[in-house]
Amino acid sequence: MPHPANHWRVTIDLLTEILGRFLIQFQSPALAFLLGGILIAACGSRLQIPDAVYKFCVFMLLMRIGLEGGIEIRHGEIVSMLVPAVAAVAVGCLIVYLGRMVLIRLPGVRPDDAIATVGLFGAVSASTLAAAMVLLEQQQARFEAWVPALYPFMDIPALVLAIVLANIQKSSASGVQRKKIRIMPIVLESLQGSALSALLLGILLGLLAHPESVFETFYDPLFQGFLSVLMLTMGLEAYSRLVELRAVAHWYALYAAIAPILHGLLGFAFGYIAHVLTGFSPAGVVLLAVMAGSSSDISGPPTLRAGIPSANPSAYIGASTSVGTPVAIVFGIPLYIALADWIFGSAA
Amino acid sequence: MSLEAVKVVVITEKLIAEKVCALIEACGATGYTVVAAGGKGSRSIRSANRARVVDEFSNVKIEVVTPDVAMANQIAESVIDEFLNDYSGITYFETVQIVRSQKFRR
Repeated sequence: MPHPANHWRVTIDLLTEILGRFLIQFQSPALAFLLGGILIAACGSRLQIPDAVYKFCVFMLLMRIGLEGGIEIRHGEIVSMLVPAVAAVAVGCLIVYLGRMVLIRLPGVRPDDAIATVGLFGAVSASTLAAAMVLLEQQQARFEAWVPALYPFMDIPALVLAIVLANIQKSSASGVQRKKIRIMPIVLESLQGSALSALLLGILLGLLAHPESVFETFYDPLFQGFLSVLMLTMGLEAYSRLVELRAVAHWYALYAAIAPILHGLLGFAFGYIAHVLTGFSPAGVVLLAVMAGSSSDISGPPTLRAGIPSANPSAYIGASTSVGTPVAIVFGIPLYIALADWIFGSAA
Repeated sequence: MSLEAVKVVVITEKLIAEKVCALIEACGATGYTVVAAGGKGSRSIRSANRARVVDEFSNVKIEVVTPDVAMANQIAESVIDEFLNDYSGITYFETVQIVRSQKFRR
């Protein structure tokens, strides 16, 4: 049995490690622009990022991620994706199911709003994923090319499960025989969303065509610049949504502050199992944790608005955009990288 | 030359614009106009041109000129019944003078 002092030293080492990562991360462009956006919005700045520019940034990011994935999948083997994909589905569903059990019991929280909120937190944020990928690539951490393709495996089951649970909730509350929920339209709508369409098209083009020249001269060099504009927009939006969040129960703010980290750790645990079973890379485990910890801000909200119309969007979008996403990026990403360093050695 | 008619205006979420338009056509209207809208209502302030992380939550103003009051009522009632319990929005009538009245009848 190791001496108790060793435990302390390990804990202190880990804390110093995480603290050091935070300091580096605070200066990374992605986070600096996010915080900058929040800052100038708080100062009442009239700076606006036009809607079309924002949408183009999202497209650039996901097309670049998709193309790179597709190009590399062409050379790699995709069979090893199976276990992590199952883990992604399990994490997405667990977040929604467990989150619902907790959130629904809190005072002042309407069941519909609670289910929509956990659905959004189970879904995946493309911008958070992109920020984590940039950070890992800067550290020359290698992850399997198909890791970004795990996105829909977590995103869609979470949204579908949330909508199904909301419908069950509604029919049991009203006592009316419940309508059969058709799942395919929800899946289809998620796939047709702007973020997933761009990602899947990118993967397809990378896989079937030879887009290397356009990838190397256009998408890859511009990636970080567009990510900074996107982060600035997210910061502006985060601040403006805070006002809406204040109008709903404070439990949402608390949930949104804690849940991303817990979800990320859950994702990390499942990633670790995949690592033991199939040799899933440490950086891949980190990205799975980032996906689990992120909450959808682009494609999730409209899907939920259409699927659970009775839920108040101020509750779930306010929680996700103004608290969840900043927490997932600022605290989540460095935490999982530090954790991976600690558990796997310097591999991540 | 001009003729009096009723215009139904629906200001609501872009997310359901397509469904509202389908409903308007189902009521027998021959056409409609959709424009981007912004402003303040009982739910929140919505900006017309600032970047929104979720574009589907921006607002639209749908206008439809109806040849008779019955159709106008039918459109307003069915929009309210079907959508405005869950989605944000308002609907109102305006009296307008139309020319080329045959364009508003099937």
